[in-house]
Amino acid sequence: MLPPASGTGKYFAKAAKSIRLIRQGCTNRPFFHISVTQRRRLNSQPVIEQLGSYDPMPNINNEKLVALNLERIKYWLGKGAHVTPPVAEILGLSGFFPIHPRSYMTAWRNRKTEQENIAKQIEAEKAKESTAA
Amino acid sequence: MTIFLSKLVQNNIKVFLVRNSDTQLFTVSYRNISILPNIYDGKEDPAPKFFSRNVQVLLKRLTRPDFAKVFRKRTSSGRDVLPTPIYKFLTNEALEAELAKANKKADRLLQMPPVVKIQQPINEILSEDPALIGYDTAKYLFTDITFGIANEHRLIVERDPDGTLRSCDHDVRKRLNQTYFPLNGRKLREPVMFTDEERFNTLLEQQEYEFVLDRACLQYEPDELTYQKITSITYQHIDMNKNFEKLRSTRHFGPMAFYITWHQNMDNLMLELLQSSAVREAVLLTALRHEIHGDVAEGDNAKILAHEILPTPIQLTKPDRLTEEDIQLDNKCVSCIEKYIVSNSMMKSQQELALQGFREYYQQLIELSRGLKKAHGTA
Repeated sequence: MLPPASGTGKYFAKAAKSIRLIRQGCTNRPFFHISVTQRRRLNSQPVIEQLGSYDPMPNINNEKLVALNLERIKYWLGKGAHVTPPVAEILGLSGFFPIHPRSYMTAWRNRKTEQENIAKQIEAEKAKESTAA
Repeated sequence: MTIFLSKLVQNNIKVFLVRNSDTQLFTVSYRNISILPNIYDGKEDPAPKFFSRNVQVLLKRLTRPDFAKVFRKRTSSGRDVLPTPIYKFLTNEALEAELAKANKKADRLLQMPPVVKIQQPINEILSEDPALIGYDTAKYLFTDITFGIANEHRLIVERDPDGTLRSCDHDVRKRLNQTYFPLNGRKLREPVMFTDEERFNTLLEQQEYEFVLDRACLQYEPDELTYQKITSITYQHIDMNKNFEKLRSTRHFGPMAFYITWHQNMDNLMLELLQSSAVREAVLLTALRHEIHGDVAEGDNAKILAHEILPTPIQLTKPDRLTEEDIQLDNKCVSCIEKYIVSNSMMKSQQELALQGFREYYQQLIELSRGLKKAHGTA
């Protein structure tokens, strides 16, 4: 049985917390909980509280669904919880945080590889034409 | 064979031929119903009129709640065993308390689905960031699942592949709300009975109006285009076939009466009321029209009459012994209806005929009750 969203993990008030993605899916089917937990604790251990979920596999309409309990996220941020980069990226995309630099990097790299691929294709076509002629 | 086929086509029956075996003929009897939906999309919003106290009272009275139908047996789904009825001896006070409880329960069961204007599309762009182009090929949908927020106020935004952050439109909002906060009975995909026109028409032909309207209420929001189309077609079908009795004592009669009055199409209902000698309800309907459009000749008179009628009990059939007040009230009603028929009605001759029939029947009743009183020496 799944633990309740309020979590079952014990924690110390003054110890560092982290808001992170915790993988919950099965083999070949990733699914993540966005949870707050003690920073020095494994992802397999009970969490303090679940704050949302993230489904990285696009659904039938080509959408990735993210659920965020913004009220509780604000609470834990106010308590000084750290946010891991993947969660910061998601929160950035949602407009809750500023966009994470890594998102811009990924976008830029994707654009670059796409342009390179197109250039390669054009070159290959040209090479084909020259050999045929 | 050809004659048979042409006759089938004439009867509007769909013929399916199976390719493999030409001899086999499958027929599905269904009629083409060509009703154009009439939705509340004009300039005027029906909500303030529908929710006004005067109109609500009139609509509830026109529903003519019959407890035998309101509390009828429904499916026993969700129950293992049907509860056995309990019989009790009650004092008068206890009986009154029980009746008050039943009234309250009936009010809840007869709560009318709201009639509102069609919704406007949401086109709110929150931010545009072209530097995010190429980040992902899929859309990201973000739902705020904070506890205790109503579905219609929930924050739901999407990040498009071109880097635009925008508020989601109604259909996506509905889907996500249903994903994270499912309503019992609502489906993520539209039921086939609404998407497939043939099945929908078959249901209408079978006069399953209450089923259709109940399911539409559950599946759609009242300001959705699909909901208004479906209910509009259903109401018009009821109106054309004069199946008003099917909706009486249900929560859908009020919106139906409002719909046909709003679109100035209530003469069928008026005729049905006159033919079933419910003149008082006919006056209520006139008053309803005057509340909504204000175009009835001497409509204020009808409104005053409606105030007189509302405290009296519902008369499904006229009692054998009429009191003098009853006779006076009914005569006022008849004269009010006369004026309505002359000035506003679209079916003058039929309604006049029905009214004349009522007049003759009522005259007999009056003579009978006065004679009875005389015979008993109470006159």
